[in-house]
Parts: sequence; C-alpha cells; structure tokens
Amino acid sequence: MSAPGTWASGIREALRHPFWQAVALLLGAYLLFEFGIALVPPLVGIKSAPIPASVLVQYMLTAVVGILLYVSDQEERWRRFKEPIRAALVDPNKRWIRAALLIVVPISAGFVTYRQVRPSVGAGAQLRSIHPAPPSTISFRGRTMTLAGLENLLRRSGDSAQHLATGRRVYYANCLPCHGDLLDGRGQYAHAFNPAPLSFADNGTIAQLTESYVFWRIAKGGRGLPREGTPWNSAMPAWEEFLTEDEIWSVIVFLYQHTGWKPRTWDEEGGGGAP
Amino acid sequence: MSKLGGLVAGVGLSAWVLAGTSCGGGAERGGESAAAAGAAVAFPVDTTSAAAINGRVAFVGSRPAAARIDMSEEPTCAQKHPGGAFVEAVLVNDNGTLRNVFVYVKSGLPALTFPVPAEPVEIDQNGCVYSPRVFGIQTGQTLSIRNSDGLLHNIKALPTTNRPFNISQPTTMTTMRSFATAEVMVPLECNVHSWMNAYVGVVTHPYFSTTGADGSFTLRRLPPGTYVVEAWHERYGAQEQTVTVGPNETKAITFTFRAS
Amino acid sequence: MVRRKGTASLLLAGAAALAALAAFAAPPNRQGDVGADRERGREVYMKWCAGCHGDEGRGDGPAAEHLLPKPRDFTMALYQVRSTATGQLPLDEDILRVVNEGMPGSSMPGWKAVLSGAERAAVVRYLKTLSPDFAPATAPPAALSFGSAPRGGDAAALEGRDLYRRIECWKCHGDSGRGDGTSAPTLKDDLGNPIRAADLTQNWTFNGGGTAPDIYRVLRTGMDGTPMPSFGDLIEGRIITDEQLWRVAQYVRSLSPAEPPRARDVVRAARVEAGLPSGPDDSAWASVERYYYPLVGQVIVRPRWFAPMVSGLWVQALHDGRALALRVTWHDPSQSPDSSWNVWRARVAARMGADDSAAADSTPLPDRLAVQFPARLPAGLDRPYFLMGSVEEPVYLWSWESEPRSAVEATARGADRLEPLAGLTDSVATSSTYDHGEWRVQFTRALSTGDSTNQLEFVTGRPIPMAFYAWDGSNGETGARMAVGSWSAVYLAEPARASTYLSPAFAMLATAGLGLTVIWRAQRHRRKTTDDGTDIGTSEAE
Repeated sequence: MSAPGTWASGIREALRHPFWQAVALLLGAYLLFEFGIALVPPLVGIKSAPIPASVLVQYMLTAVVGILLYVSDQEERWRRFKEPIRAALVDPNKRWIRAALLIVVPISAGFVTYRQVRPSVGAGAQLRSIHPAPPSTISFRGRTMTLAGLENLLRRSGDSAQHLATGRRVYYANCLPCHGDLLDGRGQYAHAFNPAPLSFADNGTIAQLTESYVFWRIAKGGRGLPREGTPWNSAMPAWEEFLTEDEIWSVIVFLYQHTGWKPRTWDEEGGGGAP
Repeated sequence: MSKLGGLVAGVGLSAWVLAGTSCGGGAERGGESAAAAGAAVAFPVDTTSAAAINGRVAFVGSRPAAARIDMSEEPTCAQKHPGGAFVEAVLVNDNGTLRNVFVYVKSGLPALTFPVPAEPVEIDQNGCVYSPRVFGIQTGQTLSIRNSDGLLHNIKALPTTNRPFNISQPTTMTTMRSFATAEVMVPLECNVHSWMNAYVGVVTHPYFSTTGADGSFTLRRLPPGTYVVEAWHERYGAQEQTVTVGPNETKAITFTFRAS
Repeated sequence: MVRRKGTASLLLAGAAALAALAAFAAPPNRQGDVGADRERGREVYMKWCAGCHGDEGRGDGPAAEHLLPKPRDFTMALYQVRSTATGQLPLDEDILRVVNEGMPGSSMPGWKAVLSGAERAAVVRYLKTLSPDFAPATAPPAALSFGSAPRGGDAAALEGRDLYRRIECWKCHGDSGRGDGTSAPTLKDDLGNPIRAADLTQNWTFNGGGTAPDIYRVLRTGMDGTPMPSFGDLIEGRIITDEQLWRVAQYVRSLSPAEPPRARDVVRAARVEAGLPSGPDDSAWASVERYYYPLVGQVIVRPRWFAPMVSGLWVQALHDGRALALRVTWHDPSQSPDSSWNVWRARVAARMGADDSAAADSTPLPDRLAVQFPARLPAGLDRPYFLMGSVEEPVYLWSWESEPRSAVEATARGADRLEPLAGLTDSVATSSTYDHGEWRVQFTRALSTGDSTNQLEFVTGRPIPMAFYAWDGSNGETGARMAVGSWSAVYLAEPARASTYLSPAFAMLATAGLGLTVIWRAQRHRRKTTDDGTDIGTSEAE
C-alpha cells in the first residue's frame, strides 16, 4: 500500500478497505479478550485472572465468523475484501509477499504441531469443585449434627461482643498462618500449599455460604471433603480436633464481622445444595 | 596560676564538647541538657558541713561455684585467661564480703543539680569480658566503651527508660555514649559472646559506689539529711536502708546478702 | 568529627526550638483534634493490628505465641527499620514504610490493599502514642544521610567480601552467609526471644528488605531490639569509609539470586546416558536445573509446629533409564545433634506455644529429610493425603537422617503411622555432605526394585507425585514437629520419540503444499480470465 501523505492518513485510508477493517477488528478482538477482559473485575472490586487459552481460541473463532458474516454481507464489500488476498496470490509485484507467506505459514504450522506433540511435563489440571455440596449430617466429636437448617446459635444467645472476642482470639491463634492478617488467604504459610488457602475477603467464599456450611468446612477440613472436592489435597486441618463447637461458631462470627459479609440464610438457600 | 586556670578552662570546655558529642548515641537528648546544665553548675553542696555514709557488703553462706566459660571459639580471648575464664556473677572476697554490689542514694536528696564530671567512665572489653562488670555513671556523663580485644564485639544497652544502643566494634576502637535519665540498672551485653554481661547504674548525682576487692563502699560529700541507700546485686537483688546523717557526720552501715 | 557533631547538635537544638515554637503557635482547639485523630488510628489498630500486637500494643496478641519472629512491642518504641542512628526513634516515614510494605520473613504483611493512605497515616500516629518516648515535646529524630550505592566491579566485589570477613559478619551469619555462625545459637532479641541470624543467601526473608540500599541501611543503623548492631561508629571513627560499608551491602546482596525462587509443579528429571552422578558434590549436578520447594510449619496434626527452621529446599533430578537420582539441598544452620544449639532449642521451647509438653525435652535429635511418593502410582489425578497418606491410601518414603548418617525406606498411613519397610535390602542409596549451613543429599534408587507391593515403581513420561518434609534436630524438631510442603511431582523424561519430530515436519510439508496449490489455482484462474479479457503481461511461470 503506497498510501500518499502521512502515516495517519495512510491508516485512515486503509481502514476504509474491508480487508484492513477485518484485520483491525480481529486484532482489536484479540487485545480485548487477552488483556481487556481482565481489567473489568477489579473495577467492581473483584480479583481477576487472565482467560484460559482454550476459551480464548473459542472467542477468536466466534470473532472470525462474525467478521466473515460482515464482509460477505454485501456483494461489493465481499469483492473488495477478496481483492488484496487475490492480489497476494497472483499479482506479479507481490511475488515477495507470496514467497514470505509460503515460508512463514508452514513454519508456524510446524511449530504449533511440535508444541502439541512434544512430551508434556505438566502435572495436569486439578479439577475440583470449590464448594462441593455438603453432606446432610456430620458427626462432630461423636455427636451427629444435621447441617440442613442448622444455625449459629451464638447469634441469638450470650454476649455477642464476647463471641466476637473469642472468635478473634481463635482466628489469630490458629487460622492466621494460612489465611493471613488480611483474611485474604495469603498468610505466611500460604505459598507452600496447593490449593491455596481461601480468601474470606473474596465475594466468592463465605459471602456465598450459610454458616452451617462454613461450620462443616472448619470442623472437617480438607480430609472431610467429598470426592468432587478432590480429597487429600487441601491442607485445611480438621478443626474439631483443636476447637470446641462454640469456638468454631465464634470464629465464624468473627469472619463475617471482620469482612463485612453477611452469611446466606436458609430462606435464600431454599433448601437446595450449595451454590 | 594563669596556666592552671587555662588548664581548668580547657578541661571544662572539652568536657562540655565531649558530653555534647555523646548525643550521637542512644541518650542524645538527655546528654545535651545535662551537659548544658553541667557547664553552668558548680557543686551545690556545702562541703564544710558535708556528711558521709560508708560501710561494707557482707556475704553469708557458702559461695556458689562459678561456671566455666567455654571460650574455645575465641582463642585470642582464651589466651588472656590462663587459668580458665569463669562467670563473674557472684564474686565473694576472701574477707567474706561481696564484690560488684552497686550502692547508691536512692532517695532523700534535696532538689539539687550536680555538675557532670568531665572525666568519662570507662568500660573495656578485654579477654572477652567486661571490666568493670558493675559500675555507676551520672546522667549525661560520657561512657567510654573500649574494645581492647581487636575482634568483633557488639555492645548493646538494654535500658527500660533510657534509649538503647547497639554498636558494632569489629576492631580495637573506642566509642562514646551517655545516658539521659536515671536508671538502676542498665544491662549491657554482647551478642557475639553470650557470656558477656555488665550492669550500669545511672543516677543524677555523684552518690554511688561499687564494692571492690574489700567489699566496702563510700558515699562522700552528702548534705546532712535522711537517705534511703540501696545496694543492688545482679544475682541477689536489691536491699534498702534508711540512714540519717548530721553535719560532718560519717555513718557506717552494713548490707548482708545471703546465698540463696 | 567533634566539630561536625557539635554543628549537628546545634542544628538539632535549633530544630527543637522551632518545633517548640510551632507547638505554641498552634491553635488551642488542637487538643480535641489530636484526641479524635488518635481515636481514628486506634480503631484501625484494634481491627487489624491488635490480633498480633495486642490490645495494648505490647506485642502479646493471641497470635504471638505461635509467631517467630515475635510481633513488635510498641510500648518499647524500639524499631528495627529506621533511617536514624541506633537507639534513636524512627521517622514517621520509617514506621509507615513497614506498615505499607510489611516485613519480609515475618508474618507482617503490607497493608496497602486494605487500608487507605489516611488510615495508615493515622495508625502510625497512634503507634507513637503507645510509648512516652514519642512525647510531642521531644525533638524529632534526625535522619542519617546514606548517600547512594557506588558503582561496582570485580575489585569492588572482592573488597566487599574481604570486608565481610574483616568486620566479622561471619561471627553470626557464617562464612557462606547461611546464618550458621558460631554465635548464631545464642542470639536473642531484647525480650529474650530466640532470633535467627539472617540467612544472607535468601534476601527475600530479610526483615528490613532485600535490596542493597536496604542492607546498607541495616548495617548503618542496626536493627534495634535485635542483636544486629550498627556499624555507624566505624564510619564516624574513620575506621572504614561509607563507600566500604556500601561494598559490604553489595556483597551481601550478591549472595542471593536476582529474583526470589518460585515453586513449580513438576521437577523434570532429564535422561542421561553417561551414568548418574556419584554423590551430591559430583560436578555433573552443576548443570542440572534446580527446583525450589517451599516448606512451612505443620498445623494439621498434634503436636503442631509453628517455628520450622528449614524454609525451603532445592531439588534436582536425573535418571538413566535404570535408576533415579535426586539431589536435595537445604539450609540448616546446625549439623544436628549439636550441643552448642541446646540454648537455642530451650529458648524456642520456652517461647513458642505448644500442643504438648514434649517440646521442652532435650534428647539429642538428628536432622532429617523425607521424600514422599504415593505407595502406588495413582490411576488418575488422585493422590494420597498429602500429609503422610492415610490408612486407605498409604505413601512410600525415603527417610534420611544425619545421625547415624543413613536412610531407610518406609510406608506411612498417616503422620503418626510411619513404619520402616522391614526385611528389605536397602534399595535407596544416599550420600550426603554438610557444608557451612547447607545439607546436600543425593538419593539413588532403581526405577524398579522387583517389590512393587511395597516400593513405588518409577515410570517415565508421566508426573509422579512427590513431597518433602524436613526436621532440624537442633530446633527440637522430631515427629510431627516438622516443616511440611504439599504435593509436587517428578517427571522422568522419555527418550525422544520419532513422532515428536516427524509430526511437525509433516505439518510443514502439508501446509506448504496446500499454499502452493491455492496459489497455483488462483493464478490459473486469473490467466483464464486475462486470456478472455484484456489484461496483459501477467505470465507468471510458477
């Protein structure tokens, strides 16, 4: 493209052409998916992560289809869209572009194939359900407790300031090494564990759960997780071995008070399983 | 005569400067104010009518065996103790008295401001032990800390009311510090050699004394009055006696520490 | 020196006078504002800080008994990180810096994420009200001038190393900087808590920060409240120059890697044909990639252990198709049992909260290291319980100890059920070295031993779960008092398969062929149209 004038006008000129429009759209879509999306959740105070490669490929395929629909929508646009492609294939002055494409594209194909077939050293993705459905009953220190409808009795009895103080003491004496001062799951020990300790500050943990569910997770720990929670990996201790029932309910009071979240109630829960 | 006067002035000036320089250390603020006061103040007690308290610190019971210090990690120091080095926490003299007891006037003095002595108090680190191990110093007075061993010592003060310090002395050198407020006692320690301990009694006046090889102490040039005198020992704690002295009177008292 | 200091005193006095004037000039209703401001800081303190530092700021919050280093006691007004001389109060910025960034190597996090700038400033002002030393009448502390790092070079690096020896840093930190100096076992802070000489090869754990300027600051000002003294008097006494102190800082920085190590999921064991290394100090290991594996306290079974000495280890692996060799390297300041560490062990036992009374026991204990694998290769992604397995899914371990220097194979069905595999000829061979605060141990075992019921069969081409535990006997560690990590894996590389290279070649050929076809067809089509029409001169022979 020997565009007259400055760079900017050259680009403006090019963007009137459907082929370059398509290229620009594709590039824009890629940048949006790869970097843009990750910027959104922090705006509303949620931690974000880059989207996985497989999802990225799906999004990009959708974008390509959309762009093709757009350029083939009108006869004229479709003809102009094909022009540069056709020129690259046949035009005598595009001989070098042709040659370069013939070299670059096969090498890329070979590289991608190599990435696919070379021996992988990855440990494999660990699929696990973060909040698996709780059992209907648990045995707490030899006593059977029914989880459905179970409420934190400390909310209705005793001195609430006292419960909070007990919960705070329990948290700092026991939970701090992993869950941390910020209750963000990034305590001093957290870096050695996989899966990482949960962040209570995150809106996806205790904010989504009933207090009975939290009680179950604290009392039974990682070893008490059902199959779909991938047993044997979570380092969460079974706190029934260290704490009394009241201490566990107290630390739950502390967790909600300190983070400002409200536990889900059984009315919201509608008698169903975990969210 | 004028030569002498010049000398005195010179000493006084250098004392002022010295005390001023000590503000690089842990007790800067106090060092400065005391030094300023010291320059202006003459000895505030009428020496013609002054009284004195003296006496001895007796020790009763069997003297505890001193633990041997393993100095094998510091051959230079070990060589300075041909008979072996021992922990000097309890030193009982042959005459049945106790050494390293810090005796001082704890209360009873009128509100007087005493000049800060020009000459510094010296503590040496020699043979990987502190000498002296127990001593007194006036607030604002310069503490001269010497390392004669030429190997790494750090000298760390662990006061509760004064500011602390922790100075590294990896070679033969001398460092100055001072303490701003009265505190009995300020522990000193070396973290490189965990057996090295010393104790400084910091007081606002000159009425203090540490028992030596004869177990005696003397508090001179006191204004007549009634005083609480305290004797402090690092192992056996502190004892008090109330003493009244009249003009030109000298009273003898005895403190008795018992083997625990 | 005297004159300079005299000038400094004068300046200080001037500053104090100005501060006093300013205080007098302040409006009288200031008192109420101060009270409200203190209340704001106190609210933040009580919510976020008191759990460790205590309601009164005495460093005695409910977390304190399980923490080492212990939380600061603010009533003592002793601050480690300062830009002022030893014994001086810190600047507000010094305190704020620690509130912002936290203290590496301790439990203290940075607070920027949860506290606003105003809240952090208010909490700094509140902390100062906890000690009378910060009384408003006292002159503000004077910051020292640190200059900036001089340019280095080989000669400079050598000078730093030489000075490290001359000013005897090694007395506590050790010849190699691993915190294994002769004085290390006796170190205690101003409250009598045991405190470690920093491992200078792990700058990410330095309480005062790990950069060369951070290290210089610590050398210059000391860390008040700890045994780390100030070397400032050496400069003032003209025994060394400021530049030389910078050289020490630069040398200490050079002992650590450029970036802190990161844990990775899989340790790759390359396949070698020339034979496996003969021991941990075989030069063949020098070119083998090292994998960091972090270790932390054990908080799952009784007795829990919150003060592990070993904070991580490095793993290297090789195999030759017949046997697997693992080299494990870790830092431990003592070669246990070592009676010179008894004083340390007693102090740790006295100052750390414990689930049982056995911590105070003083039986000599060896150092230990265990490598853990599943007893049998799991079918899918399942793995035994990471902490020494369970009755249903046991684990298989190589358990090495320093005294007597040996290793056994064992099966564990839970942390309290570790049983040596009896009646086996020892199939795991170990060779070990202790060198200036570092253990290096090589484990070697045949991939297959012929006893697949008790011993794991190693296979190539898939990740095999692997985990580690470490014990420092001199720290009182034995049984469940240990440092633990979670499952990692070792991957034994397979010999290169032909398909690895054939497939990409085929893909390249196919793509190139397709491209040529497309071009050829397009050009034939075009020739046809130009033959029909008017276009000329496009005879591209291809």
